[in-house]
Amino acid sequence: MESDDDMVDDSVSMEDDFYSGDYSDYYDDPNDNDNDYCSDDDGDYGLLEDDDDDDQDALVSRRPQLGYTVLNEADIKQRQEDDISKVSTVLSISRFDATILLRHYNWSVSKVHDEWFADEEGVRQSVGLLERPVVQLSNARELTCGICFESLPRDYITSAACDHPFCRACWGGYISSTINDGPGCLSLRCPDPSCNAAVGQDMIDKLATCEEKEKYSRYLLRSYIEDNRKTKWCPALGCEFAVDFTVGSGNFDVSCLCSYSFCWNCTEEPHRPVDCNTVAKWILKNGAESENMNWILANSKPCPKCKRPIEKNQGCMHMTCTPPCKFEFCWLCLGGWAEHGERTGGFYACNRYEAAKQEGVYDEAERRREMAKNSLEKYTHYYERWASNQLSRQKALSDLNQMQTVQLEKLSDLQCTPESQLKFITEAWLQIVECRRVLKWTYAYGYYLPEDEHAKRQFFEYLQGEAEFGLERLHQCAEKELNKFLSGDGPSKEFDDFRSKLAGLTSVTKNYFENLVRALENGLSDVDSQAAAACSKTTSSKNTGATSKGRGGKGKGGSKTGGSSRNVDDTSN
Amino acid sequence: MKASRARLFKEYKEVQREKAADPDIQLVCDDSNIFKWTALIKGPSETPYEGGVFQLAFAVPEQYPLQPPQVRFLTKIFHPNVHFKTGEICLDILKNAWSPAWTLQSVCRAIIALMAHPEPDSPLNCDSGNLLRSGDIRGYQSMARMYTRLAAMPKKG
Repeated sequence: MESDDDMVDDSVSMEDDFYSGDYSDYYDDPNDNDNDYCSDDDGDYGLLEDDDDDDQDALVSRRPQLGYTVLNEADIKQRQEDDISKVSTVLSISRFDATILLRHYNWSVSKVHDEWFADEEGVRQSVGLLERPVVQLSNARELTCGICFESLPRDYITSAACDHPFCRACWGGYISSTINDGPGCLSLRCPDPSCNAAVGQDMIDKLATCEEKEKYSRYLLRSYIEDNRKTKWCPALGCEFAVDFTVGSGNFDVSCLCSYSFCWNCTEEPHRPVDCNTVAKWILKNGAESENMNWILANSKPCPKCKRPIEKNQGCMHMTCTPPCKFEFCWLCLGGWAEHGERTGGFYACNRYEAAKQEGVYDEAERRREMAKNSLEKYTHYYERWASNQLSRQKALSDLNQMQTVQLEKLSDLQCTPESQLKFITEAWLQIVECRRVLKWTYAYGYYLPEDEHAKRQFFEYLQGEAEFGLERLHQCAEKELNKFLSGDGPSKEFDDFRSKLAGLTSVTKNYFENLVRALENGLSDVDSQAAAACSKTTSSKNTGATSKGRGGKGKGGSKTGGSSRNVDDTSN
Repeated sequence: MKASRARLFKEYKEVQREKAADPDIQLVCDDSNIFKWTALIKGPSETPYEGGVFQLAFAVPEQYPLQPPQVRFLTKIFHPNVHFKTGEICLDILKNAWSPAWTLQSVCRAIIALMAHPEPDSPLNCDSGNLLRSGDIRGYQSMARMYTRLAAMPKKG
């Protein structure tokens, strides 16, 4: 039991760091908090720690040192031209040859230089840049085209560097058919099957039609982005920007100028703290299970009491059915709200899939234990919460939009406050959107967290529960409490209180989620040492011991921070 | 259309002129349609196809020679890269590695080379491919030889 105590104590003290909402951490010295949190890492990995600090600075200042650049078409062309010029100058070759070389080496200037100066002959050979012709043409006035086999005057014949003779008409057909076949035309070779002489843009310019030349330059531009290891197109529909990413500059989240955000590494939506592989697995699974999920995905659920269909159209999970039923329940588990509270991990946290393992004290737990038996049910559990946070996020986005376009102006008039001083409301909503995103992905994280790592699971669910609670509280405040000021008919004295409360909640929640992301990203490594110790204990004693302690911790967190927003009702139809 | 016809006519004249140039290949243009050809090729020596004569059918597209002719075996043949039922051939120069400088004659030469050097890793005839891949050379050779006897040699008596 001793080790259990250690573990729980540790998590509780951690919770103090995480949650006590000590803003000074956030405003004064961001690294301070980080160091507290990673204290057992003891800085014996100098370089890595430096990186972490940078990252931290970036996160906190809200002006991240961008590790990436968004490029429009003109930028791309400019960079491509510059690279071609560089290579052409340094190697003293034509721009066309430089283009062929760069494309062959995926547009890496340094790679071209390295290879060229290491073995110019070999590079020329493999890329097809010949120094002298491979065939000796006779001096006859007429030559035979290698494609149509016609004998034609020399003027009609043209060749790549190899001098294999083909007439202009056949060249035209050859080039046209390869260009229309796709981007493979960028590595066009002499039509002679035994010859690998490259055919560059100079030949294309001479022999192709305008339309084909246009296509060719399009492919060349695309190649500069697609074959380059450092750049990718923004995956948003119809977006023509590309993102140049400096590898090694922290996380992969990027924001395109079209306002679409994505993970540069896997081009899915941003998914910190979950890694790309897990996201791929999760998305694949969602696709495979989607038939099963259809009934869950449907946007309505029946009221558990009167069975009328209910659509959730507001933020938090505390639902109240319309009169006359007025049944209060939890949207996630459909259990009565009266049963929620300490036992399910706090009023606003219903994340306790594992809670089913508590000894069937009440019906709710019975029901969940049954769910746990079936792996599909387990998946359903996580998927449902993942999807429902996704929906909440979309709702929050549209609320934010509504706020910015309509409500802020109204509020500004009502409270006689300039709109510039209402930024804290927008910030709160932006934070809600971001938190929903993180919370959503924690459910994919939870699904893949190994069942047998009890300590980690427990700690994870604890952190997640706290996160959920904090977010619901912020959401509640930004949604419900704000409404009071929107419906009032004049400046309200309490508005300043509201301002400091919402701004406070925003920064506490932000801080907490940043810590959460970091904790999950490094695989909950704080638990490792304790977990090893805990595993040597018998399972039963460990479970009961740790769970009750965990709940104690939660109660503590709740009572400290909950206070004012606990009893606000959430109604919906 | 015009270019392909002119080119095929050139090839036709070349074939007439050099009939004896390659004794293994006999290319014949259809009497009424210059886009249809047949060829008789001899099975290469020291292969299970030795002694057989195989008939190929060419369907030449209008974009020829920018696009490759479609070729298939009319004679049944047991070979990893030839479809056992349709006679379709899996050969890179007939697909993506085609060059307009190839001719029907050179395609025939390439097919003879393919008969001598099968590519069991991209099989159209999986039974045959699997025999080779599992190292059962004798099994492959005896099957191929049997079908050569059955289908590609003149019937005795």
